[in-house]
Amino acid sequence: MNQPLAPATVPSHLNPVHIDAGNRTLAEMQDLASSLTFAAMLTDDGFEIVHLNGAHTDGGRFASMSSSVQALSDAVAHELKIGTNEYVIIASELGHVIQLRVQGHPIVIAALFDTHETLGKGLSIARIAARRMAELIA
Amino acid sequence: MSEHVVLFAGPMGSGKTTAIRSLSEIDVVSTEATNTDRATADKETTTVALDYGEITLDDVTKVRLYGVPGQKRFDFMWSILAGRARGLLLLINNDAPDSVNLLIEYLSDFRELHERGAVIIGVTKSDVASTPTVAEYSAALTAAVPEQLIPVFTVDPRNAEEMRTLLLSLVASVEMRELLAPAPEKI
Ligand SMILES: Nc1nc2c(ncn2[C@@H]2O[C@H](COP(=O)(O)OP(=O)(O)OP(=O)(O)O)[C@@H](O)[C@H]2O)c(=O)[nH]1
Ligand SMILES: [Mg+2]
Repeated sequence: MNQPLAPATVPSHLNPVHIDAGNRTLAEMQDLASSLTFAAMLTDDGFEIVHLNGAHTDGGRFASMSSSVQALSDAVAHELKIGTNEYVIIASELGHVIQLRVQGHPIVIAALFDTHETLGKGLSIARIAARRMAELIA
Repeated sequence: MSEHVVLFAGPMGSGKTTAIRSLSEIDVVSTEATNTDRATADKETTTVALDYGEITLDDVTKVRLYGVPGQKRFDFMWSILAGRARGLLLLINNDAPDSVNLLIEYLSDFRELHERGAVIIGVTKSDVASTPTVAEYSAALTAAVPEQLIPVFTVDPRNAEEMRTLLLSLVASVEMRELLAPAPEKI
């Protein structure tokens, strides 16, 4: 192998392996759901790693907000002692945002579905994506 | 019992989270995430939403302590939390590059709050970098905000007693401003 693997200390948003895996995962997500209107992967501290369909969204700002929302939700779960926070759901009139962590990595997936998707299907697609990402960067 | 809301702001690594942890009597609410920007501040974690703590001063004054993320990417949290506060404790780490101008920049980002409330500057990490001096910060503040006298102190956020003294002085100043211009009805 003449291309060295990026060391573990390279942050995900600068790590070509993570960026490539992120792009693949989000593309596969899109194949599973045409109702996926926007999706992003971000580091725990809110740097965007990759995004999909971002034409109408400020990806950087969305990544920061997702990271805040994720951390606040974790804090609520911690405060109420209800175990690990698995999903964050923001259900709005014209769409729902689903966020979840990639197991074992400081990475969050945030996906916006339009209302043609049921929440249940969105959740299951998001879960598949998180597993897939974890596999690809294992 | 009177109540105050105070906001801790300032650059990444200036010690906002540390200060609230030193001061708070309750378990603090934290939103720390693994820090990937080690170039700006070489530490394990960084705040991505808020810190929250509480302290009772002189038995009758309860102060709610909110910390914001230092990174400007999170400035939407700055506006959300600044709206609740009447006092601003702006921490500036003395080892930051061009820290005097950085302070003025952060102060202007919280202009709305310091115009209607009270503000105090805490210079941190002066054990790490001995300059600029308090006088240099004061001169820059006077030039930037001539209509307001903004006090500058050095402080170590890890030291609860020092933080408490600073907070007392900020709260006194908030109370003074409230006497002069009563707060609008609570929503
Ligand atoms: N030597 C020294 N270290 C300090 C001083 N003040 C704070 N620190 C250290 O500097 C670091 C400050 O980190 P935080 O409290 O997380 O900083 P913050 O302002 O909350 O940073 P963000 O949340 O990332 O914006 C901690 O490791 C403190 O122990 C000081 O006066 N001297
Ligand atoms: Mg902090």
